[in-house]
Amino acid sequence: MSEHGDRLTRPRATADIELRHLTRTFGEIRAVDDISFTVGAGRLTGFVGGNGAGKTTTMRMVMGVLSPSGGEVLWDGRPITALDRRQFGYMPEERGLYPKQAVVDQLVYLGRLRGLSASAAKASVTTHLERLGLAERAKDHVEKLSLGNQQRVQIIAALMGRPRALVLDEPFSGLDPAAVDNMADLLREHTARGVPVLFSSHQLDLVERLCERLVVLAKGRVVASGSPDELRATSVSRHRLVLSVDAGWVRGVGGVHAVDVEGHTALLEIVEHGAERALLEEALRRGEVHEFSPQRPTLAQIYREVTA
Amino acid sequence: MTTLQHRPDPDTAGAGEASGPADEQTSGGGRPWLIVAVREVVVRVTNRTFLFSTLFTLVFIAGFAAFSAWQAGKTTTYTVAVSSAEGTRLVEQAASTARSTSDTVVITPSTVPGEDAARAAVDRGDVDAWLHETSAGWTLTSGDDVEASLRTPLEGAVRDAALDRNAAAAGTTVEALERGATLGADRFDGQTTNRGFVQAATFAFALLFFMGALMFGQQIAASVVEEKQSRLVEIIATAIPLRALLAGKVVGNSVIAMGQVVLFAGVGLVAVSFTEWSSLLPALSTAVVWFVLFFAVGFFALACLFAVAGALASRTEDLQSTTSPLTTLLMLVYFASFALSGTALKVASFVPIVSVVAMPGRIIAGDAAWWEPVVSLLLMAAFSAVAVVIGEKVYRRSLMQTRGRMSWKQALRTAD
Repeated sequence: MSEHGDRLTRPRATADIELRHLTRTFGEIRAVDDISFTVGAGRLTGFVGGNGAGKTTTMRMVMGVLSPSGGEVLWDGRPITALDRRQFGYMPEERGLYPKQAVVDQLVYLGRLRGLSASAAKASVTTHLERLGLAERAKDHVEKLSLGNQQRVQIIAALMGRPRALVLDEPFSGLDPAAVDNMADLLREHTARGVPVLFSSHQLDLVERLCERLVVLAKGRVVASGSPDELRATSVSRHRLVLSVDAGWVRGVGGVHAVDVEGHTALLEIVEHGAERALLEEALRRGEVHEFSPQRPTLAQIYREVTA
Repeated sequence: MTTLQHRPDPDTAGAGEASGPADEQTSGGGRPWLIVAVREVVVRVTNRTFLFSTLFTLVFIAGFAAFSAWQAGKTTTYTVAVSSAEGTRLVEQAASTARSTSDTVVITPSTVPGEDAARAAVDRGDVDAWLHETSAGWTLTSGDDVEASLRTPLEGAVRDAALDRNAAAAGTTVEALERGATLGADRFDGQTTNRGFVQAATFAFALLFFMGALMFGQQIAASVVEEKQSRLVEIIATAIPLRALLAGKVVGNSVIAMGQVVLFAGVGLVAVSFTEWSSLLPALSTAVVWFVLFFAVGFFALACLFAVAGALASRTEDLQSTTSPLTTLLMLVYFASFALSGTALKVASFVPIVSVVAMPGRIIAGDAAWWEPVVSLLLMAAFSAVAVVIGEKVYRRSLMQTRGRMSWKQALRTAD
């Protein structure tokens, strides 16, 4: 049975995870403060934020490991239940496995706890071990595996079976580039069948490459959310100007902020709409314009802006 | 126990897996607590350390029994030096008494000319003692203390000879003198069970129970903390109710513990049947049934308490302190069960855990109505269920506290 056949003949598991006004306090500290966003069905949603921004606390509340101080989590438009979560794949921040049990045995065990039959769990584990290059380590005790390989086993624990949603806390950390690509392919297969995927990461380039949607968290609050392009649109646009003469004069032009000037080249932010016209006219008066091009901001740049 | 049934849902298909039909995927989960229990058992019985220690204990029990049997079957031979025909007759009399009580004691006379020869024979180790007549009567002289198995039959022989002689001198017989001098004894309940023996058996069972409880309790607590230590707890907590995890651990470990105890006891009983105590075994049969029943239920109740203690800890290293209130309590209960009597004992026989020893004791003593042990067992079962629920609460509350341990008070107070 081919993958494509599966996708065409089987209905898609379309349901959203919705976070509404989710709040969690620890004593005096508001770790998560009134967070609302939606992890869309079939979408890969990246969860970005510095250490202590509240990503892990939020994910724990989505998975029911921690109860919210306020707000709620909806699945398919109704409050989420333990039964729903049982069918979710979850990769917690605190990684762990039974050190003295064989890889295949404990994965089958975890699969059975999630409601798979022994044979279904076994089949799923075998497939995943092969795809992640761990087939020959199946009988080894987990403690004998390298950290990277243990990480792969944990990924399998989250992805095996047919989870209806995926909540993954830093799933890419500790993986080599090949394993990252492997993992990205796996995640895309899940979104292709309509599964909502929420994952957190510090690797912004990776998030930019993979995600259709992005939620940026700072100090327990959502400071930005949307597709990477949407985020860029809200960002102040930058232009690069290359002249035949020294570019120092741009500092005096109104409505334009010179971010960086070096010799003939300047990096500018157009603060006032329409200011670029006056800028170009002035530039042409002073000499030749070799280049005037909009700069596509990187996600890292946007991230720094919104979390500043 | 709540059973989580997977909703058969075609939506869950996909993700590029070569797998069977959707219904097979979703229907075969089974009861979560049972899956946990089975894992506990499988992991334990395939553990090499566990297997070796079990085997070692079995060999030790069997070896001890074999040694006892050999010791009991060994024939002890005593040689007693005598200097007169009368002495020889007394030793022969003693030898026949000894033979009739135990066929492993043999006493033989050896004639010596006098004290010097007797002393030399004792010094050389040829004879064990010298039986001779002095002005005060018969005396047994030896190099060291005389063992009871030689002394007792000799005393009897000397006494019988003296009584015969004295009775004849008084113109009567020993039988005439002893008429009416014996005290008969029986019991109102008509039973002939040896009370001392029952008490000894009770003590042995109680000891077995508390030794087992202390040993396996620690193991159960360690097994409960395992997921926290290995930090798997978050994955499991999202997959199944924590109650199911705890119940599975308690059941799995109780099965292992009971299995091991039954195995040890079985081998022990078989071993005993080869020894001189084998005649006592039938008297134990009814007591054994009640003890096994209370043992099993009591063990389960204790396992639940130890699971709570395990839930309080976040690492194996913390277990020592979180289980210590329990071990202290257990010791107190153990000693209390022997100190109590009357109404206090009656009350104790309904208090969970204490009843494990108190109730079977009352049953054997014959002062428990048929419904009393049943009620006592039900109380203990209810207690176990409550302990699992409390354990879940504590476990959930201390779940996120993966560093350090919680106190009992703290765990019951902290909000979710």
